[in-house]
Amino acid sequence: MKQFRNYGLIAMTIAGITITSCKKEEVAPPAEENELEVITDVKLVFTNAADPSDVVEANAQDPDGGGAQSLTILNDINLDTSKTYILTYEIANNLDTPGEDIGAEILAEDDEHQFFFSFSNDAFANPTGDGNVDAASDPLGYNDQDDNGFPVGLSTTWVTSGTQLSSGTFNIRLQHQPGIKTATSGANDGDTDFDLTFVLNIQ
Amino acid sequence: MIFKGHIGDVSFAKWLILLIISMFISHLGMTQSNDCNYSVSGMVFDQETKEPLPFVKIKLKNSPKGGYTDSKGKFFIGGLCSEKDSLLVTCDGYCDLLCGGNHEKNEPLPIYLAQEVQDLGPVQVVGEYHKEEGTQSISQVNISQKEIKNAPTKSLADLLSGQEGVSMISAGANVQLPVIHGLHGNRILILNNGLKHGFQNWGSEHAPEIDISSANSITVIKGATGVRFGPEALGGTIIVNPNPLDLNNPLGLEIGTGFQTNGLGMHSTLNLEQGVEKWSYFLNAGFTKIGDRSTPSYIMTNSGKEEKSVNIGVRYHSKKWDFRAYYGYVDQNLALLRSSVAESGNAFVYAVNSDRPTFIRPFSYAINEPNQLTQHQMGKAEVNWHYSDRAKLSFISGIQLNKREEYDVRRDVALPIIDLELLTTDYQLNWHHPKWFKLDGLIGIQVFRQENINNPGTQTTPFIPNYRSMRYSAFITETRKFNNSSLELGARVDYESNSVAGRETSQDIFRDDFEFTNATASIGYIQKISENTVFRTNLGTAWRTPNMAELFSFGQHGFKSSFGLLRYYWNSTNGLRTDKVIPLNESSVSPERGYKFTNELKIIKKKHQHTFTAYSHYIENYIFDRPMAVIGTIRGPMPVFVFDQTNAFFAGADYSWKANWTKSISGVTRLSYLWSWNVTSNETLINQPPASISQKFIWKQKGFCKVKSSELSVEGGYTFTQFQAPRTIAPEELIDGTLELTSESEIFDFKDAPDGYFLLNISWKLDWKHFSTGISATNVLNQSYRDYLNEMRYFSDEIGVNVLFTFNYRFKAKKKSK
Repeated sequence: MKQFRNYGLIAMTIAGITITSCKKEEVAPPAEENELEVITDVKLVFTNAADPSDVVEANAQDPDGGGAQSLTILNDINLDTSKTYILTYEIANNLDTPGEDIGAEILAEDDEHQFFFSFSNDAFANPTGDGNVDAASDPLGYNDQDDNGFPVGLSTTWVTSGTQLSSGTFNIRLQHQPGIKTATSGANDGDTDFDLTFVLNIQ
Repeated sequence: MIFKGHIGDVSFAKWLILLIISMFISHLGMTQSNDCNYSVSGMVFDQETKEPLPFVKIKLKNSPKGGYTDSKGKFFIGGLCSEKDSLLVTCDGYCDLLCGGNHEKNEPLPIYLAQEVQDLGPVQVVGEYHKEEGTQSISQVNISQKEIKNAPTKSLADLLSGQEGVSMISAGANVQLPVIHGLHGNRILILNNGLKHGFQNWGSEHAPEIDISSANSITVIKGATGVRFGPEALGGTIIVNPNPLDLNNPLGLEIGTGFQTNGLGMHSTLNLEQGVEKWSYFLNAGFTKIGDRSTPSYIMTNSGKEEKSVNIGVRYHSKKWDFRAYYGYVDQNLALLRSSVAESGNAFVYAVNSDRPTFIRPFSYAINEPNQLTQHQMGKAEVNWHYSDRAKLSFISGIQLNKREEYDVRRDVALPIIDLELLTTDYQLNWHHPKWFKLDGLIGIQVFRQENINNPGTQTTPFIPNYRSMRYSAFITETRKFNNSSLELGARVDYESNSVAGRETSQDIFRDDFEFTNATASIGYIQKISENTVFRTNLGTAWRTPNMAELFSFGQHGFKSSFGLLRYYWNSTNGLRTDKVIPLNESSVSPERGYKFTNELKIIKKKHQHTFTAYSHYIENYIFDRPMAVIGTIRGPMPVFVFDQTNAFFAGADYSWKANWTKSISGVTRLSYLWSWNVTSNETLINQPPASISQKFIWKQKGFCKVKSSELSVEGGYTFTQFQAPRTIAPEELIDGTLELTSESEIFDFKDAPDGYFLLNISWKLDWKHFSTGISATNVLNQSYRDYLNEMRYFSDEIGVNVLFTFNYRFKAKKKSK
C-alpha cells in the first residue's frame, strides 16, 4: 500500500506535467475589431449657401492612425470674400476597408460632442472675433443643437469678410464631453477627438 | 530547577531555521496546595520586536489542559493535578503566521520544561522561524497579522510601503504596486499562497488583485530571489501567506468592521477557522467600499473602490501525508481619477499646468469611467509527503483565472477598451532531501503556463496581443552549516517559450514565436559575529523576459503614444517608423538580467535592535519607458514614448532601529536611501523612490479597569524630494516644437519632482474582553502634497486626513478535554 502511494504520487505528477506540455499549437489571434476611436481622414466641406455647386474642400490625413507617421494637412482653405458658407464634414477611419464613417457616430452622440473654432481675428464678418476656443461664449454660427438644446457644430455658418486674408489660420477642435457638456463647457473640457489647424486664405 | 530548551527534531529545525523569534518564559510558578490546584503561568515574547506574542498555543504534555496566550502574551493554566509536567509552547498562531504552512508535523518548536519549577527567572529560548529555502541569507521583513488588521482598507502596496526599503508606485488611490529597492512591476514577484500571482503585470496601472485582510502574514524578501522563485524575482519577492490551517485549533470566529472618514469607506471581514486532530478548515470573506476620496482642498472625483473577496481552505493530515486545498476569489471595481484622462496634447498641457484637477464633482460612491473591473480566481492543491523524519516531498498544483476589463472615457463608454482573460497554471514538485554530506537542501522542478486571450468586442485594436508562455524550470538550493556560520548556494535553469498572435491597427495579423534558456545562480553567507550580531550577505542573479507591453505596445494609451521594443525602428534618415512588427529574433532585444548584492547586519540586544542593509544591483538590458518625440496626430501634437533598453545600476541602504525605552514605551526608526543611474547613457533614471525617514513611538498601557491593554502610537515620516529626478520639459515646449528630441536626447519628465513632505499618523488600539477597537488617523496635519511615484501627481494632490475606526470581535472556543 505504501509503495502504491509512492508510485501514485509520482505518476500523478508526471501526468500533470505532460498534460500541460504536450501540445504546441499556434495561438489564435484576437478577433478583428471595428476600430471606432481612430480617425484617419477629416474633410472640411464649405458649401456656398447661395449656390450648392460652389464647394470648397480641405483635407487632413493621418494615414497610419496611432502610428508614428505625422498628420499632414493636404490643402489650404481658399474661400471667396463676402460669401456665406455652410461648413460640414466627412470624418472617417480608413484603416479599415471599407472605411468607417465617424461623422455618423458623432451625430448619434451629439449630446457628448461639440466643435470649437479659432481663426485669424476678424477673418469673418459673422462670426466676428477670433472664435470660441478661448471663450466658449464668443460668437459662433452653430446650425444644430443636441437634445439638451446645446450647440453641436456638425453644421456651422460662416460669412467671410470683405477684406482679403492670406495665410491666416483656421483651427477646428472636436471635443468629446460625455456627461460634462453643459451650456458653459468649453474647448478645454473633455477630450479632444481632433484638433486641426489649416491655412486660411480669403480672396 | 531544570530547564531544557529543545527545538524539535534537530534536522527539522535546521531547515526551519532563521530569523529569530525568542520567547521569554517568566514568572513561571507552580503553586502547591490541593491535588488539582497547581497552576502555571508565564509570558511569551517575540525576541525581535520585544512584543508579547498573543495567541501562542500552550500545552501540557501529560494533561489535556492547555490554552493560548492572551493579547498581552500572557498565559495561565490552572487546575493542574500534577506537580510534574512538561510544558509545550508551540508557535501555532504566531509562528505559523510568519512561517506559512511549515509545521507539517504539527509539533514544531516545542519547549519542554521539566519539573520543579519554583522561581524561574526570565529564560530566553531561542527558537527560530522559517525563511524560505534559498533566501535565508537575504534581508527580509515581515508584516504580522496584527499590523494587517490595523489597516484593513489599505492595498497590499500601501501596507508594505512603511517598511524600510519598500515604497509604492501608483496610479491613484486604488491602483498601487509595491516597489522594492527601486524596482516594481514584474521585477517583483508576488507569491500569493505559494503561487506566482498570475495577473496583467505590466505598466504602473495594474495592481495585484489581493485582499490583504485575507492574509495571515506578508514577507518581503529584498534581494534577487530568481533561483528559488524563478524569473521576475529580479528585485525581490513578496510572499502573502494564507491561513496556516492549524490542527487541534478550537473553533474561532472573528468579525471585523471598519469605517473611514475620507471617502466614507466601510469595510467588513469574517474569519472562521477550526482544526481537529486530522482535519482543519478556514473561511474568510471581506467586503470594502470606498467613495470619492478627497485631498485637503477638493474631492478627487472618481476615486472610489469596491472589493469583495472569499477564501476557503481545507487540510487533511495523517502521520506522513498532508493534503491542503485552497480557493480564493477577489472581485474589484477600481476607479481612476477622472481628471487623469487627457487624450490629446492640449488637454494634457492644460491638465498638467492646472493647480486643481480639471474635473471636480460633489462626493459620490459612483464609479464611472475610467475604471477597472477585475476578477481573480485561484485554486490550489498541495500534497506534502513526509516519507522520513528528515525529508519530504511536496507537490503543488495551481490554477488562476484573471479577468480584467478596463473602461475609458471614449465614445463607446459602455464597451471596455481592454478586455482580457489570463489563465495561469502552475505545477511545482519540491524535494527537501535528507542531509547529504552535511548539506541541507531543496530541489525542485516547476512547470508554468500562461495564456492570455483578448475578448472580442472592444471596438479597438488590442493593446496586448494574445499569447501563450510555457516555462520549465529546475532549481537546487543547498545550505551548509558550520559552527557560527552557514553557506547557502543555489542554481537554476529555466527554459521559456512564447507564442504570440496580435493585430495591427489595419487589423492584419502578426505572429511571433521566441524562446529563451537561462541559468541563474546565487551564493549567500551568514556569519554569527557575536552573541547579538549576525551578518548576512547574498549575491543573486535573476532574469526576466520583456513583458508583452514592453514588446508590443502600439499607439495611444492615456495621454501618450507608446511603442514597444518590437514596434518601432529608426529608418536610414534617422526617422522613427512604426509601420512593421519586428520579429524578436531579428531585433536587438534581450532578456533583462540582474545581479543583486545584499548585505545585512543585525544587532539584537535586549533593549535595542538595529538592522542595517546595504545593497547594489546591476541590471543588464533594463527596460524602461522614455519620451522620444512629438508627432502630429489628428488629436493634435502628442508626446511619443518608446520602450528602450539600457544597463542600469542601483545602490542603496536601509536602516531600522527598534528600541524599548521603558517597559511601556518603545520606538522604531526607519531610513531608506536609493541611488540609481543609467550606465549606458550616463544619466538618471525616472520614477525612482526618493529617500525617506520615519520615527514611530509606541506607548503601551497594561490593563486598567476591564480593559486588557491599550496602545497608542504616533508616527512621523518625512519623504524627501527626488533629487535624482530627470530634467523637466514642459509639455507645451514639446508640442509647439521649441524642443526637438532625438534618440540621443537626455531623459526628461513633464513636471518637477514634487517637494518633500511630512506626514503624521496617530493610532490608538484597545482590547477589551473579546473585543478590540482602534482609531487610526493618517495625514493628521491634513498636508497637501504630491507623491513622486504616483502617476496622478501630474493632475492631483494626495489624500488628506483620514480617520479609520475599526471594531473587531473575536471568539475562540475553549479547547475540549480529551
